[in-house]
Amino acid sequence: MKILVIEDDTAISELICMNLEAAGYEACPVYDGLEAQKKLKEADYREAALALVDVMLPGRDGFALMEDLQRVSMPVIYLTAKDDVLSKVHGLKAGAEDYMVKPFEILELLVRIEKALQRTGRSRDKITVRDVVIDLKEHSVTKAGARINLKPLEYELLVLLAGNRNMAFSREELLRRIWGLEYMGETRTVDVHIGQLRKKLGFHEVIRTISKTGYRLEDWE
Amino acid sequence: MAVADGWDSHCHAGTKRHIGGMGGRGRVVKLWKKLSLITVTALMVSMGAAGAAAIYHSALYIEGKTVESYEQQLKAAAYAIGKELDYEPLAGFQEATVNAYYHYVLQKFDVSSYILLEGDKEVCNMTPFVLANAGDSRWGSEEGYSAIQQNGGRYVLAAGRKVPVVGEREYKLVLVRDISAIYADIRNQAFFYLAVYFGTALLAVCLVFFMTKRTLGPLQELQQAAQDISGGKLERRARVGARDEIGQMAGAFNRMAAQIENQVKELREESERRKLMLGSLAHEMKTPMTSILGYASSLLHVNLKEEQKEKALQHIYEECGRLERVSSKLMSLIGMYENDRIEWEEVPARALLERVSLLEEGHCKEKHITLTYECGAEKWLVDEDLMISLLLNLVDNAVKACQDGGNVTITAQGRRITVRDDGCGIPKEEVPRLTEAFYMVDKARSRKAGGSGLGLALCDRIAGLHGAKLEIESILGEGTAVSVVFERFYPFIRK
Repeated sequence: MKILVIEDDTAISELICMNLEAAGYEACPVYDGLEAQKKLKEADYREAALALVDVMLPGRDGFALMEDLQRVSMPVIYLTAKDDVLSKVHGLKAGAEDYMVKPFEILELLVRIEKALQRTGRSRDKITVRDVVIDLKEHSVTKAGARINLKPLEYELLVLLAGNRNMAFSREELLRRIWGLEYMGETRTVDVHIGQLRKKLGFHEVIRTISKTGYRLEDWE
Repeated sequence: MAVADGWDSHCHAGTKRHIGGMGGRGRVVKLWKKLSLITVTALMVSMGAAGAAAIYHSALYIEGKTVESYEQQLKAAAYAIGKELDYEPLAGFQEATVNAYYHYVLQKFDVSSYILLEGDKEVCNMTPFVLANAGDSRWGSEEGYSAIQQNGGRYVLAAGRKVPVVGEREYKLVLVRDISAIYADIRNQAFFYLAVYFGTALLAVCLVFFMTKRTLGPLQELQQAAQDISGGKLERRARVGARDEIGQMAGAFNRMAAQIENQVKELREESERRKLMLGSLAHEMKTPMTSILGYASSLLHVNLKEEQKEKALQHIYEECGRLERVSSKLMSLIGMYENDRIEWEEVPARALLERVSLLEEGHCKEKHITLTYECGAEKWLVDEDLMISLLLNLVDNAVKACQDGGNVTITAQGRRITVRDDGCGIPKEEVPRLTEAFYMVDKARSRKAGGSGLGLALCDRIAGLHGAKLEIESILGEGTAVSVVFERFYPFIRK
């Protein structure tokens, strides 16, 4: 799945691309506004699922680019150092899916990308990790063609880890995202479910325990 | 002292007002009331004293005149009676006959007011009074004697003198008169004067109060103006037209207010500038911070490939360098804002330019840029470090603007040092904003070249400290020339 990264600062652009690729997306960096406008006419770029757009761009600013992006009905998330309510409102009113203020957490960016894709019906149908295929429509998991029975929470945990592969999640983060804020259980619960996933899918090497952090599903396609 | 007290207590009331309303205001005695009271008191005391003195004097005068006129009358009577009186023919007559004779003589004059004494004996008394001291020799004095006696609320004048007669018998004539009427007159006069005095005083009080209030009225306006100004209305001025001391004071007050208004305005502008600069700084820090945070967190949490890890570290290193450059430039900028301390030195112009070109040599070689300098000046009176920093910044900018193989020249001529390049140039409309902190014409390019957006702001500041101005001329696509033009310190630059 392709994601356009329209950002003039090379360091930030590379940072985003690096993480998008690690998470299993394909990143296409563009460095200025006019170039973005031009590239959007090429089919290769038009089929991208989403665009991350910096507001302060040389050539043509992010707000001005909205028109071109909407013409190809591409969902937009603005990234900007401007932390004022007015420009946020401006961006969202113009039709952006979301708005992120620098500096931001990469994990949060990935989650927001995922949510934006879900809202616009562009989320992935299937996630493949080695020989395991997760069918997001059917809510089923197969390993080498054989169906694996997972409990609902185990399934959600697997989707989260596989959807943000190569990213480490802390036990607390996982508890919060899968079990919900109101869940008062212990982090041991997470360990038990991870253990189940590893056993059922043979992912002992794939879902790694990261010291001091938590768990990470590691796989480079 | 009274004035100072008045203001003092007023100020007190003023400060109190902010906390607890008008408390304490009642104790303030208005200056105009004080002055009026003082004037009126002085006026009344002096008028009263003068009036009392006048009445006393006129009473004495009337009394004296009355006594004198009666003495005259007595003298005339005594003389006339002396002519008439002749005892010789009476010798041998009975006492009653003699008395009748005396009676007859006195009656010829004023019937009711004389007593005739012969020796110490009262021989005829036509008055309703009794002479208690008929033996007193003073009644018989040649030049006359008079006394005023107060008797049961009445004033009685008694005057006596010797009657000049022929023969050995001695006669004395005593005049007795009730003169209460003149005292009643004097009393009436005093009452009249008192009435006039109070009437005039009342009028004077009104006049003095009115005029003092009018004269001091501008003080109230002044006070109101001061209160308004302390309340934040800095544009407020005292409207006082009087040409007296109060008018002068109002003038001084207005000049002070104008000065304060100006200074406050300057301070506000300065703090606004700093706020803007801080805002740009915060914004400028965000981009490298985002990178550093992002890469660090990726290194910590993300399963990166080896080459990605290396790239992340490289980026962290570069961005930290950028932050460091921004902060050190900012430090020097703020440092210069805080203490305008300059170490003036006479610096040989050529040596200074040589150092600059030496310091930039490596930088230029990387981009194959030719750096040349021409020196038409001998010595400069400048702060050497600051001046080198200024020129380095200008040359840095020029090098950044140049393509590979470009040319940069430094020319020092008269009171002008120019750094010229044949690089990309700057759009005309951007030129005025170049010296703003964090302003960059082409952000992406500038950042790639390691710019902080502070260089020209710093140069502008250094030039300002030297009493010089930055002049920027640029033609898009042809190049830029930035000149430091000394103005005020021109005499210090020696050819």
